[in-house]
Amino acid sequence: MSLIHLEGLSKVYRVGDQEIQALRGIDLRIEEGEFISIIGSSGSGKSTLMHLLGCLDTPTSGRMEICGKDLAKATGDELARVRNREIGFVFQAFNLLPKLDVVSNIALPLIYAGVSNSQRLARAKQVAADVGLGDRLSNRPSQLSGGQCQRVAIARALVNNPRILFADEPTGNLDSATGRMILEMFESLHASGKTVVLVTHDPVVAAHSKRVIEIRDGEITREYTP
Amino acid sequence: MNIFIAISIGLREISAHKFRAALSMLGIVLGVSSLIATMALTRGIEDGTRKFMQQMGGLEFVSIVPKEPSNSDFDFANLSPGQTLLDADAIRRSANFISHVSPEISFSTAIATEGGGNPERRMVRGIHPDHFVVGMHQLAAGRFLTPLDVERGTRCAVVGETVARYLWPNTPPEQAIGKTILIDSMPFKLVGVLTLYEMESNARFRKSGKSISSRWDPFRKKNESVLIPFTTMFYEFRSGAFPLDSLQTIKLDTLTVRVADLDFFQPALEQVRAILNITHRGVDDFDLETRQDWFDRMESSVRAARLSGGLISAISLVVGGIGIMNIMLASISERVREIGIRLAVGARQRDIFWQILIESILVSLLGGFVGIAASLGLIEILKAISPTENVPVLTFDAIFLALGFAVFAGLFSGLYPAAKASGIDPITALRYE
Repeated sequence: MSLIHLEGLSKVYRVGDQEIQALRGIDLRIEEGEFISIIGSSGSGKSTLMHLLGCLDTPTSGRMEICGKDLAKATGDELARVRNREIGFVFQAFNLLPKLDVVSNIALPLIYAGVSNSQRLARAKQVAADVGLGDRLSNRPSQLSGGQCQRVAIARALVNNPRILFADEPTGNLDSATGRMILEMFESLHASGKTVVLVTHDPVVAAHSKRVIEIRDGEITREYTP
Repeated sequence: MNIFIAISIGLREISAHKFRAALSMLGIVLGVSSLIATMALTRGIEDGTRKFMQQMGGLEFVSIVPKEPSNSDFDFANLSPGQTLLDADAIRRSANFISHVSPEISFSTAIATEGGGNPERRMVRGIHPDHFVVGMHQLAAGRFLTPLDVERGTRCAVVGETVARYLWPNTPPEQAIGKTILIDSMPFKLVGVLTLYEMESNARFRKSGKSISSRWDPFRKKNESVLIPFTTMFYEFRSGAFPLDSLQTIKLDTLTVRVADLDFFQPALEQVRAILNITHRGVDDFDLETRQDWFDRMESSVRAARLSGGLISAISLVVGGIGIMNIMLASISERVREIGIRLAVGARQRDIFWQILIESILVSLLGGFVGIAASLGLIEILKAISPTENVPVLTFDAIFLALGFAVFAGLFSGLYPAAKASGIDPITALRYE
């Protein structure tokens, strides 16, 4: 069975009296261990698709199964649970909490997983060391470079040992050298067995993945292997 | 998310914005401190009033006072012997709801020490031993008058503290016992001295070294008592006034009784009324005076003080709660992105709800603690301002009540911000700049 299975997925936004069809019948299967890119220009619907895949939103119609669960009509709590246990997010703007140090930022998902205090710290330190931030544990995000911030974000995404990693323009705020380093991290995570879904507008970034889905006007227009 | 994490997040948030938190606590601080201070103050007044009422003789005391018979009784009003020892004996024998009966006749005359020293005019009162209980007396030294004194008509006297101090200045009461006191030039033996009765406020006024002569003293009459046996009074001083008077028919100056059990207050009054109707031969020439109305008035004024104080405190607690709500709402719109991030990593709506609510409660709880500390200072200030009034009494009930109100204010004012925060859409929140 596929890790992610979408069938006829569509999403309609209402803005005033206007209906905006963000997604029109997406059919997509993503298998466990894949490294896939979703590429499209702005307004193509790729962000909407990622929000649905990331369980931040529910579709207007269609089937959506993630990790074997039908989430098309899931409640907020069910979605929160999937976000917490099965999914790790990496954002363009890092989205770290500025008041917390590196360890606490990384440990944030564990708070909502109900992990005990000592285990939480141990696990966060472990993951921080894995991404090469073992010596930066008590720094605040403001004291880190962009690349380091993104590594903290990746560590936070990995701390609950999720099956899927979503990255939304992860290199958008980074210079090209640092961006390449971050992309190499995703490659090595993929090599170690994680499913990685990369959302980007940049074909060069998408070229790091093994499979590219192109979206335009809410529909999948092309699928290719770079 | 467990509650300790929510509390630590809340505390961190408060310490990150100390000044803002302090401002939002201010209303709660004022509310809690004024609530505790008001409660302490009214409690002090209440205690003072209770004590005063007790010293004045409690509710149990009923005076029987003569009154003009009504016009319809006028023709046969002379049939009534009036208030006499007969009434006292009849009540003592027949009214089982009455525990003590104190008849009294008095005579104003000069008293002096042996040899005529320190003469002054005093009201001398002839009493029965029951007067000790009815008059709420306590002895500083010696003994009170006994049934034997009354039976034999002994020349023994008990005086109040003021009288003893005037007659024998600089002599402690113990040493005054046994001395001779001249009452209308007749020698009496001093057998007892009563304690000094005073209100708490007067006591503290006296200790502060100021003169108390100008102050109102409800115990003046008690302190100026000169008490001798009823029979002695009659035979030595009162029998000559009307040749027809006998011990049994002389009109009493006062007749006071003590109700045995307040649960049977009304039945006791009925008994007394029934007995007096017989002894007065059906003439309605007496009234029963109780302290009920007087005490009720005191109680209701204490209640009014407590209510008005409580109302002011309640208003400031409400204002404080609104202050917290205001700050929490501001804090949420500042933290939309944080809430979005927390939701994205798996926080449920209710986790966000509890986080905000607990933070709000923490702010008010801290405000409550500061308010308790402030109230202690406030009470000290109250004591310093008016050292002679009733001392404020700080009770744990007041502290817990105030703290409870503070927490309630925090809970109540946190509900709306918490609901608002938990309703934030994660996608919008993550895009929020």
